[in-house]
Amino acid sequence: MKITQYFRTSLFRKVFSVSSIISIALIYFLGSNLYNRISDGIIEEKISAAISEGEAAIQYADYRFLIGSLNKNTDYKTIVDEIVKSTNVSAKASGREIALLSSTGKRLARIPSRSTSNFLEPSSIPSELRQLVKEDDEIHWQRTNLRYFNGESVAGVAVGHRIDIKSVGRYEMYVLFDFASQQQTIDLMGRSMWGTGLILMALIMVIASVVLRQVIKPVRYAAEVAEQLSAGDLLKRMQVKGSDEVARLGTAFNDMADTLAKQITRLENLSRLQQRFVSDVSHELRTPLTTIRMASDVIFAARERFDPTIARSAELLLSQIDRFEELLTDLLEVSRFDAQVATLSLSKIDLVQLVNRCVEDLAMDAKQRDVKIRIDVPEDEVLIDGDSRRIERIMRNLLGNAIDHAEGNPVDLTVKAGSSAVSLAVRDYGVGIATHHLERVFDRFWRADPSRSRIRGGTGLGLSIAREDANLHGGDIKLWSELGAGAQFVLTLPLTQGQPITEVPIGELPTH
Amino acid sequence: MTSVMVVDDDQDLAEMLGIVLNGVGIEVDLVSRGDEVLEVFRNNPPDLVLLDIMLPGLDGIEVCKEIRKHSMRVPIVMLTAKSDTHDIVRGLEAGADDYMVKPFKPSELVARIRTRLRRTGGESSSTLTIGDLAIDIVEHTVTRAGKEIPLTRLEFDLLVSLAKEPGRVFTREALLGEVWGYRHSTDTRLVNVHIQRLRAKIEHDSENPTIIGTVRGIGYRAGALGNRS
Repeated sequence: MKITQYFRTSLFRKVFSVSSIISIALIYFLGSNLYNRISDGIIEEKISAAISEGEAAIQYADYRFLIGSLNKNTDYKTIVDEIVKSTNVSAKASGREIALLSSTGKRLARIPSRSTSNFLEPSSIPSELRQLVKEDDEIHWQRTNLRYFNGESVAGVAVGHRIDIKSVGRYEMYVLFDFASQQQTIDLMGRSMWGTGLILMALIMVIASVVLRQVIKPVRYAAEVAEQLSAGDLLKRMQVKGSDEVARLGTAFNDMADTLAKQITRLENLSRLQQRFVSDVSHELRTPLTTIRMASDVIFAARERFDPTIARSAELLLSQIDRFEELLTDLLEVSRFDAQVATLSLSKIDLVQLVNRCVEDLAMDAKQRDVKIRIDVPEDEVLIDGDSRRIERIMRNLLGNAIDHAEGNPVDLTVKAGSSAVSLAVRDYGVGIATHHLERVFDRFWRADPSRSRIRGGTGLGLSIAREDANLHGGDIKLWSELGAGAQFVLTLPLTQGQPITEVPIGELPTH
Repeated sequence: MTSVMVVDDDQDLAEMLGIVLNGVGIEVDLVSRGDEVLEVFRNNPPDLVLLDIMLPGLDGIEVCKEIRKHSMRVPIVMLTAKSDTHDIVRGLEAGADDYMVKPFKPSELVARIRTRLRRTGGESSSTLTIGDLAIDIVEHTVTRAGKEIPLTRLEFDLLVSLAKEPGRVFTREALLGEVWGYRHSTDTRLVNVHIQRLRAKIEHDSENPTIIGTVRGIGYRAGALGNRS
């Protein structure tokens, strides 16, 4: 694993090792092929020389025996010695040995059954060759090892022919040649080929590494620049030199980076512009709204002096200004989420205290609608890292919604802390939401039943903002509901900012 | 009669503010340009300044700094149409005591003005000491070795609140209730900025405060001994 990793992570290592292995294999293959061809050629040359030389020697011996047979008192031993020993003198120089063997294996007319030069072992002549020689009147040869009594052994060739000595019997004569000098030549050639091969190898590796470095250096540089760019340095560009492929890569890369940077800047500007616009609009709206609010407040305070229709109008005016203001605030909040400029103002807050405060604030609303709020919270405080403004806003929204839709049934509020998170469940037993509408509950301005009159105002942005607030904390809001059975919203927040939620203290499915 | 200077370039809003404040017995001086504020201020010093941030001539933040150069005492309440942290913190750092985000309820505005004009008093003792500071509640002065340290009214109130119960840890919410008169507000920027400003004036080394200590994650207390971090 480690080795594959080693090669996979570097183009240089990969290409270098592959090209080295291929060139080693190629050099080895070509070298050994050449070596074999040449050494075969040298040996073949020697063999053909050996055959002709052997034939001549055998013919001479044949002739000697023929002459000898004409004289009745011929001492064959002398002739044999002469033939066999004649080679002794120059044996080492010529690398030639003679063997005269009796075909019957018996000693005839003082001619030894086996006579060899220089203590050559007769077994050096392969039996297959002897068989061939015995069978016909032809010259035969075979490669063999020349073995001596002192244990030496050398590669060579044996050339043989049978010799019929008149009135004595049949013998075989063999002339053996060693390949000692040929072997020397071949060895020398082998060594120099090895040397050449190694030098060639080293050269190839050096060249490969130089060339590779030259090619890889700009690739590495391009990779580095690309990494910096992707890390967010949008102004990073490649330096382009010359007009080769690398330069083209550089130019193309720079063009790409330019286009990217342009697009990003354009989008950033667009989003900044939009955010600015929303902020400006809301600012421009706020000043007249303040005047309107104060004016209507003054009118409202004096409503008892007006006739009933005008007095009622003053009331409606004030309540609608409240609604308008709420909508403006929510819109601005939504635009902050969209522009991703919403930030948490964190502090340690006690969720239990916050819940109690929230319930207190909404007690009036609940009483008006005959809704009883049943609270089940831990006795001890539950401290979490959070933005109290946002968390309170979520709670007010969930509880307010529950009271609105409870239809006089009680609302259950449960807080439960776990090791990594705390959950707040708000359960009502009111009308509930149809299953196919569940997904849309958190959509902006979505209303379950547009024709139904609303008791409380609400901007239609509350749940959407609540979910964004929860997400900003790294938590979320889950929902369960059934038509006619009510609904349960569960807000889950991490205890510590940045810590993942490992388990949810309350699931969205209600226990009862 | 209490007089309030209203600085806003929106004539209608300024006029409306005048109607509302007159209605509760507060005299109003209207100024519409930032660069005119100081002259009016010198000629006819008000009890409180309501200051819009966006102003022609000189912007509200600068006006605030100018007023503070002239008077430490006068409470300044900023009126802002932006609830973005940046502007508010800048205003508070420039010396404003409080802020109100438009649109506000008239009753809220009146309550806020009253809180700022309220005199700290009715205490059993008229002097307090904290660290090497002597606080005279009747005279509204803070002195160190006989030398007076100029504080705004709000800074004075903040210091007195903490010094009255040395060692007690005040949460930011508690201070917001006590000093600013907020119920349920959790805007900790107000407290943080003013504690910083106060420390810069009364501490020997505001990086290592010894008079007002921070209790991390909870709040502040007079006297920095013990578990401060």
